[in-house]
Amino acid sequence: MELNQAKQPAAEAPKAKRSTERRIALLNVFILGVVFAATALWTILGERPTMSETENRNLATFPEFSWESYFDGSFTAGIANFFDDTVPGRETFKHLTATIRQYMGLQTEDGATIHMNSGNQLPDQEEPEGNDAPVEETVPVIVTTTTAATTATQTTTSDTTSETESASTTSKTTTNTTAASNTTTAVTTVNDGQDDDDGGELSNNILIYKNRGIMLYGGSFNAGRNYAAYVNAYKADLGPDVNVYSMVIPTSCSFYTPEKFQYLIGSEFDNINNINDHLVDVIPVDAYGVMEAHKDEAILARTDHHWTGLGAYYAAQEFAKTADVPFKNLTTYQKVVKPGYVGTLYGYSGDIKLKNNPEDFIYYIPNTTYTTTYYNIDMSNPRYGNLLLNLDNVKPVSWYLVYLGGDERVTQVDTECKNGRSLCIIKDSYGNALPSFLTASFEHIYVIDMRYFKQNAITFMKDRGVTDVLFAMNSFSATGSNYKKLETLRTQ
Amino acid sequence: MVFSSLFFIYIFLLLCLISYWAVGSLKYKNFILILFSLIFYAWGEPVWVSLLIFSAFQNYLSGRLIEKFRGKAGAKAVMILSLVLNLGLLFGFKYTGFFVENINLIAGTSIPVPDIRLPIGISFFTFQAISYTVDCYWERVNVQKSFWKLLLYLSMFPQLVAGPIVRYSTIEQEIDERSVTVEDISYGISRLIVGLGKKVILANNLSVIVDSFFGGELGGVSVLGTWYAVIVYAMQIYFDFSGYSDMAIGMGRMFGFHFDENFRHPFLCKDVTEFWQRWHISLGSFFRDYLLYIPLFGKRRPYASLFLVWFSTGLWHGASWNFIIWGLYFGIFIFMERQLGKKRMKKIPIGIRHFYNKIVIILGFGIFYFESLPRLGGFFRNLVGANGNMLVDEVTKLSVMNNLFLLLAALVCCFPIGELFGKLAKKSEASQIAVGAGQIIFNIAVFLTSSILLVDATNNPFLYFRF
Repeated sequence: MELNQAKQPAAEAPKAKRSTERRIALLNVFILGVVFAATALWTILGERPTMSETENRNLATFPEFSWESYFDGSFTAGIANFFDDTVPGRETFKHLTATIRQYMGLQTEDGATIHMNSGNQLPDQEEPEGNDAPVEETVPVIVTTTTAATTATQTTTSDTTSETESASTTSKTTTNTTAASNTTTAVTTVNDGQDDDDGGELSNNILIYKNRGIMLYGGSFNAGRNYAAYVNAYKADLGPDVNVYSMVIPTSCSFYTPEKFQYLIGSEFDNINNINDHLVDVIPVDAYGVMEAHKDEAILARTDHHWTGLGAYYAAQEFAKTADVPFKNLTTYQKVVKPGYVGTLYGYSGDIKLKNNPEDFIYYIPNTTYTTTYYNIDMSNPRYGNLLLNLDNVKPVSWYLVYLGGDERVTQVDTECKNGRSLCIIKDSYGNALPSFLTASFEHIYVIDMRYFKQNAITFMKDRGVTDVLFAMNSFSATGSNYKKLETLRTQ
Repeated sequence: MVFSSLFFIYIFLLLCLISYWAVGSLKYKNFILILFSLIFYAWGEPVWVSLLIFSAFQNYLSGRLIEKFRGKAGAKAVMILSLVLNLGLLFGFKYTGFFVENINLIAGTSIPVPDIRLPIGISFFTFQAISYTVDCYWERVNVQKSFWKLLLYLSMFPQLVAGPIVRYSTIEQEIDERSVTVEDISYGISRLIVGLGKKVILANNLSVIVDSFFGGELGGVSVLGTWYAVIVYAMQIYFDFSGYSDMAIGMGRMFGFHFDENFRHPFLCKDVTEFWQRWHISLGSFFRDYLLYIPLFGKRRPYASLFLVWFSTGLWHGASWNFIIWGLYFGIFIFMERQLGKKRMKKIPIGIRHFYNKIVIILGFGIFYFESLPRLGGFFRNLVGANGNMLVDEVTKLSVMNNLFLLLAALVCCFPIGELFGKLAKKSEASQIAVGAGQIIFNIAVFLTSSILLVDATNNPFLYFRF
């Protein structure tokens, strides 16, 4: 599509033609000049956004000058990045971009599109012959029990309290209601190298099918064996008096991937069974089976990479049955419906079909009495809060934060249940949705995230007299990179 | 700083154009261009901008000394010394690591491989510098007596980092005497926008397709998927590279410079030789003029020079064996075509010639893509299903369907559409007006669409943290 070089500007052309050519050139320069100037003014003088809702992060800030940053090029790169990243009306333009991309081709009736950010990778499901041992070995951890370092006295009242990230230790109390005002927004500052483990819970490859985002699961039997070995090591360390459970949670790909794309995914069912086959004295919780039985219900979000409250409820019910603890029926919960939910998969895939087809975000408030205490990941700064956050000031993409308000914290729930059972949940973000369904099942529930917790998990559990330990994470975590963190947690 | 970024278009270029047009005399215009060119380069290379200035000074001095020793042995010595310095810089920065790696491999040594970051555009400005000094020696150009003017030639930002490799002779006169008409500005704007559209609308989106097929394990890609992806890759590279050249030529014209064309619809070629007469013309002509025609191997071995040229062409593209293989691969086909002769080539039915050269070119881009030799082997096995891969799969079908209009647009843009409308405009005044109006609407649409798509360039979904 190269244009003519026109090095000799129509010297022999008739005068009238040259005059027309000149007029067209003038018009072209004038109109494009106006468009260029107007767009430039808009991009330079318009109000610059500071965060991206779609991408769930703070946008770039103007870099601070230092000679070091100047000479390594990061200062000038930072200025350009600041300008490019904070274009006025960025979100609108991003939606426009997604729309433009949709019109670059035809759409099938089922709206199928595949976004493969890391290549078209077939799942590696081959079982290496004669290799049944875990790839990495575990060693027992011997710990001595100490008194719990932090205690917080509280009384149960009907007061409510707001919770923010910076809340300090307080004697305010909280109860089972979630009406508190809340200003938490799930904003993340991008920091290179801060999040090396995105792949642990998310897939780079997403199939959009019938307005549902489906992360394509690969799976790894070797990784599953390691996961099982690490969980077994917990059981060995904690001894026979502590029940250890493994709940590996399937994702949308198991239930909603059409036949023609099945070859793109690994079997979560086979991978979970492989894990269960390698568990020693650890009790598997069949989340797969119970979710498959309810796959026609909204158990997994269409636009987000998480499950729904309903999916978590069924899994919690199955766990309660396995652990032989009491369990409250869903009818006893208060159902909250928030329409207009477009979760993380829109930002991740950039597929406008998800944006144009939001879903309801539904969560359930337990009708029991309990208190919730949050700690920093090093168990400092205890403060009371809501088990289920108020979402009034939370952007829709972050509504999953309703469960515990995020991952970088330790949660302790003290209930009125009196059965002598204390539960510790070691989890990824899927596990956040479980505690609210277990407030009638255990006296105490401790929730720690395997990616962030800073203490030794065995010591933590022994110190608190935990009787039951539940590993709750999705299949991507269990057979992806996250499982390795279980061993770090046990041995750190 | 890349041309296809909002910061470049709306800040850098805007300020540069305003400053350039605000000053009256050519002397100040040249000063503004040097200033902005150095800022442009220092923006990405705050340290190695000194290298650019050193290179300009070294070649300026060499030119002056060549003139001083004209007709004496000293001139040749200066030219050779300058050549050694220019190539030494290029080798030092670009090929040292590759050289040491291969020494270690061959000799079994364990010499530490230096991690040297390649200064942006060094391959381009070094070749421009070589062409200037050698042309001075050959008396093809007048020696530039002003260091600043030579610095302007070497550092001019439109062609500094991605070509074309502009010969000094091309702009020698325009450095001292040039004017900009409204037609020049109009042409420059249109050309800039065409280049921007090629890069942002076509190349960037084609690259998403390519990465989705070749970014991961190749075992999952079907036979047709592999062919599809490599064809798309050929178009991606063409629009990416020629888009940059278009932008360079367009910006040059806005400043009154007339750079030579770097691409002339290469996929229309009838044989491989012609492909290289249409693809990255400034590089091909550089090797032709400064390497091929020099009888390094004597008259008895004319084809040794040919293979040296293609070895160098490959190596110029990158310090990796796949690039060398890529260069020699084309050398083999050009050698074969020469052996066959033009007359015999012309006797081959045109359909077969097109089929033959397209296959060669497309496979060549496969070699260009895979820097890892094992993956390159996997690519070739994939092409014939030797990896046990499927013939066709749903992902390929879906990708074609979801990107159908993009692919068709890319295909159409491989043809000389601009020339077609240019001819149409010459038919009558009415058609001239219609084509002109169409051009303006096209410019607005492509400019705004590209700007919108560029907003997404910093897309960095961060969805995991806190969840």
